Amino acid sequence: MPSWAEFQPYIVTGLALGGLYALSGVGLVVLYRATGVLNLAFGAVGAMGAFIAYSMIQAGDPGWIAWITCIVFAGVVTLGYGMLFGPALAGRGPLVQSISTLGLALVLFGVIDLAWPTTGGQSPSISFPTDNGGFSVGQLTVNWTQVIALALGVVITVGTGAFLRYSKLGTAMRAMANDREITATLGVPVRRVEAAAWLGCGLLAGIAGIMLADLSALDDTTLTFTVVISSLAAALIGRLRSITVTFAAALVIGLVHDLITPITQISNYQDMTPFVLAAIALLVMSRTQVMTRSREEG
Amino acid sequence: MNRSVHWRTRSAAAVLAAVAIGVVAGCSSSSSSSSSSSAPASSAASSGAAASSSAPAASSSSAAAGTVSTSSCGTKPGVAATGTPINLGAIDTKQPGTDFSDIENMTGAYFACVNANGGINGHPIKYFPVTEQTNPSQIASLAKQLVTSDHVVGMVGNSSIIECSVDAAYWKSVGIDVLGAGIDPECYSTPNTASVNMGPRYSSDGAVQYVLAQGANKIAFDQSNVPGTAYIAAGPDAVAKAKGASIQDFTENVPITSANAIATKLVTAAGPSGAVVLNFTPPEALLILQAAQKLNLEDRVKYWACSTPCNTDFLATSLGPKWNGKLFVNAELLPLDGNTSATAQLFDAILKQYGSDVSGGVGSFSEMGFTLGEIATHALESITGPYTIASVSAALEAVKDYNTGMLCQGYTYGTYPEHIPNNMDFTVTPDNGKFVQASTGGACTLISASDPQIAAYRAVAGTAPLAG
Repeated sequence: MPSWAEFQPYIVTGLALGGLYALSGVGLVVLYRATGVLNLAFGAVGAMGAFIAYSMIQAGDPGWIAWITCIVFAGVVTLGYGMLFGPALAGRGPLVQSISTLGLALVLFGVIDLAWPTTGGQSPSISFPTDNGGFSVGQLTVNWTQVIALALGVVITVGTGAFLRYSKLGTAMRAMANDREITATLGVPVRRVEAAAWLGCGLLAGIAGIMLADLSALDDTTLTFTVVISSLAAALIGRLRSITVTFAAALVIGLVHDLITPITQISNYQDMTPFVLAAIALLVMSRTQVMTRSREEG
Repeated sequence: MNRSVHWRTRSAAAVLAAVAIGVVAGCSSSSSSSSSSSAPASSAASSGAAASSSAPAASSSSAAAGTVSTSSCGTKPGVAATGTPINLGAIDTKQPGTDFSDIENMTGAYFACVNANGGINGHPIKYFPVTEQTNPSQIASLAKQLVTSDHVVGMVGNSSIIECSVDAAYWKSVGIDVLGAGIDPECYSTPNTASVNMGPRYSSDGAVQYVLAQGANKIAFDQSNVPGTAYIAAGPDAVAKAKGASIQDFTENVPITSANAIATKLVTAAGPSGAVVLNFTPPEALLILQAAQKLNLEDRVKYWACSTPCNTDFLATSLGPKWNGKLFVNAELLPLDGNTSATAQLFDAILKQYGSDVSGGVGSFSEMGFTLGEIATHALESITGPYTIASVSAALEAVKDYNTGMLCQGYTYGTYPEHIPNNMDFTVTPDNGKFVQASTGGACTLISASDPQIAAYRAVAGTAPLAG
């Protein structure tokens, strides 16, 4: 078993990853609450945005323009999908609505494979200037990109919480989450609220995509699926409702995933982290619920 | 009632989410496995390594730049071969994320050149290159189809993740000797298959022995978590043990999702006087190296090293000057950039005139395909009677110390129970966006016989001399 000192570096890398899973999870939860759709294309949209940013940087465009393009692309594609297919699928069940986003994910995944094929062993990558700066805490080295990743997770979670609680649009989203039909009869512009949720989710997908391209890998499989798996697990632990619990769960998933790295006996199973944690959390929560109900009935 | 409906909806959503996680995870793992295979060893040898007295290119270099044309492919320049064809086949992996078909495509280009310039004693080579998707039953049926339907008399250009293990017994049963670019252990440990490349194990041996020779006393060896990792790690383990150095083996699931954590782990394991040795495809190796750079870990160990796949200028360019003289990569094939040897010129000429199917252009795969074409042509030209499975296999087995101009040492097929004909490498290091031969200890060096497989091979086949 590694010593505490050997575990310490993985706290930094795990928190950075967890921060990005958190902002992704928050994006998924907000969209789900507003529209009832689990956006399984979250990772693919961000991945494609990141690849576009990579091509722009390779073509000589300034990095910041490329990063913004990635975020805007993800926002526009997600909004476009929501506006085009959202109304048509609104009457269908959550299964149909969510699986249709998986269709978008697979289309984008295929487009990425076609447009950025892996040949000759070349591999695209994105680096931020913040990779080259940072600070040390004892033996630990922390770069600014890692700090930004965690900070983004915190800021997005706090900001989204405040937005949902205090803004008119946020209140409308919460109302729709409780009862869509009653909210509509009260005069809330449902389409506009849904559009805002799709756009917000897309922008977060873009941010997550470009950040993970640097912190993890500019790889379509990794960005398309890993992000979705980890952030969905976090959202699931938050019962697709609580962004605070989603945030905490995402951090724990990122932390546990990386803290397993030095334990060689189980490190090859670290990709199971989101599944295991989600399963444990759901079991505990359902047990608590059963016990509460038993008490109420008793 | 309303509460109950809400609960049911939420439960349905939770179940859906769980199913969705499973679905995307399934897609992920499937894709991972498809992209996790390591390349058949040598990667783009397009390096700027100057042709020094020790580089394999130099010894074969004699022609002035631009004087070699495709007419030198055959014995009758400009005369198309019209005799009865000699049927040869090849099976390469081609699937999303893993495409080795440039090897057979370049071999095909070489044969097209031969056919246009007299062929093999007037006989054209009819080439049947096929591709597979790592499906054992598909691979087995392709092999049988090539023999029974296409009537091939030899297999030249095989490069597949699992073909050697699937078909080794079949090739032996029909008497075909395969000439390919190997990956799995059976490509090196069976009597009917010989490769032009070293494969991941012996290339990793070369990387480990280089850093040990430079003074590293501890090795952290990391590779993709794919079938055969224990077999590959056994080589570096033996090489390190023979030198009295400690070695710790790691495997990683690919695609890598947490490169920062992996880089940290490897640096911690190797320590300040040790070395990290990677055996990954270029994209995965680059992820780890870039993560180390971002975390300022590159100087926390004495050296970094890689098996051959890292030998691509793209990797050197992506890493930048921090890695000059810090990263050392095992290299197996002739560096082509700026090289004016006759072999390099012929390679360029064939690629231009006949290589329209070679999608990757200049690179390790096309170099391997070229070398395979060279060796096969050399063997076929020695046949005086009919071209049958028996005569073609006998001709291949008779190839001894043949100077391909692409390898450190002469190429020998022979009649051995195992085949590791390429067991001498050189070492390159990045130099401002290019790979150049390492100034210290980078010359052609025999892979250590501390690896029991190498020792066993040399015991039966001896040691091939330096090429040229």
